[in-house]
Amino acid sequence: MRAAVALLVGIVVVLLLRSTALAAFASHGIVLDVLAFATVVWALRHGEAWGASFGFALGLAADLDAAHWLGRHALALTLVGYVTGRLASTLVRESTRTQLVLVLAATAVHQAWTAAFDAGGFPAWPTLLLARVVVGPIVTALSGALVLAAVRRASGRPLFANVSIQPGQPL
Amino acid sequence: MARVLPLAERRGSILVASYVAVSVLLLLVGDRLPQSALRGAGTVLFAPLDRWVLAGERLAAAWRENGELHRRLAALELESSRLRSLGAEDQRLRQQLGLPGHHDPALKPVEILALSGEPMPVAAILSAGRHQGLHLGDAVVTSDGLVGRISEVYAFSSRVALLTDPNAPVACEVESTGVLGIVRCMPALEPTLMLTTVPFADTVRVGERVWTSGLSRRYPRGIPVGRVIRVGADPNGLTQAIVLAPAARLSRLRHVFVIPGPAPLEATP
Repeated sequence: MRAAVALLVGIVVVLLLRSTALAAFASHGIVLDVLAFATVVWALRHGEAWGASFGFALGLAADLDAAHWLGRHALALTLVGYVTGRLASTLVRESTRTQLVLVLAATAVHQAWTAAFDAGGFPAWPTLLLARVVVGPIVTALSGALVLAAVRRASGRPLFANVSIQPGQPL
Repeated sequence: MARVLPLAERRGSILVASYVAVSVLLLLVGDRLPQSALRGAGTVLFAPLDRWVLAGERLAAAWRENGELHRRLAALELESSRLRSLGAEDQRLRQQLGLPGHHDPALKPVEILALSGEPMPVAAILSAGRHQGLHLGDAVVTSDGLVGRISEVYAFSSRVALLTDPNAPVACEVESTGVLGIVRCMPALEPTLMLTTVPFADTVRVGERVWTSGLSRRYPRGIPVGRVIRVGADPNGLTQAIVLAPAARLSRLRHVFVIPGPAPLEATP
């Protein structure tokens, strides 16, 4: 029950961020993919089942907000949540490099999938790909890793569970 | 395969398969679902939260805007007195020529609660709806120019299709020459506002202002829409490709004004 409430609160916070603070960045051409970032963080923390559930619910809410193509974000974020959750058990989740790479890959996949629905025609692809699938994921990954590092430092403890038995560390 | 997986993983796989199946189903048949009602429910839930999140930012912005508005008020008072005398002259001339007089549109101020769409916002949620007297199709403007039109109305909020929505074209004319065209946003590359269907026989220059022509019942005539920044040829070679800079700052909307339409959109022919 607590997990479900946390999931709902997480979704509401992400959607509010997206429609208020991050909308100002997006209007200047800086697309911070908070949907993919939040799904990756949730999947790293709670595993594949909750990661996929979070991605699906968040994606569905974002689809309703976008008014076109219901299921577009939901499908991509479900798979991002599931794959990240599966990988989480084999990776050093507290590593900034791991988080950077995961957010980068997840954002690139999510943006490539959603950009495919937005492109008006083949001539638009090079510019659209550069902005959405290259620049967007890099900016999201860098700022996401920075946010996670800042939160970890501020809280003074690991963000993700089981860090004490991560590979490479003594038991 | 499923039999060799542990129980928890099997459940996880079934869960993900269900989500994927639902998503694909929605992609295929989602257009037939009552999306407007679902979005309306979502807007009711999110409107108070949006207001709360935006309160601090809006307070600071209001403080800055107050100073700027005082300066503009003084300038507009001077311009207003000049326009009053010109208006009286215009009325006298119209009476002599037997032409109908002008009517100033009524403006309803409303607040923007949220913007949606990336990289450019294509829709906005307004803090007023059916109970505040808004109707489907009403024009939405700022002091700078046209913002869009109301595309969905809920009880206490409504959704605006901005000029950047490719599905919200506007009948327009060039201010100085009266050249007619349709302004629409082209979604390819980065979203671009364009004046389309203008033949090569018509002359349009960079810097000219474009406003609503009044040929569609949705928008009254004379609302600024944009300014011409580039003139070229359409890829098909049949018409001109005229790029506009929008008059209203669509990415920095806080407050807008709704102009009630002549009649609800459903009733228009």
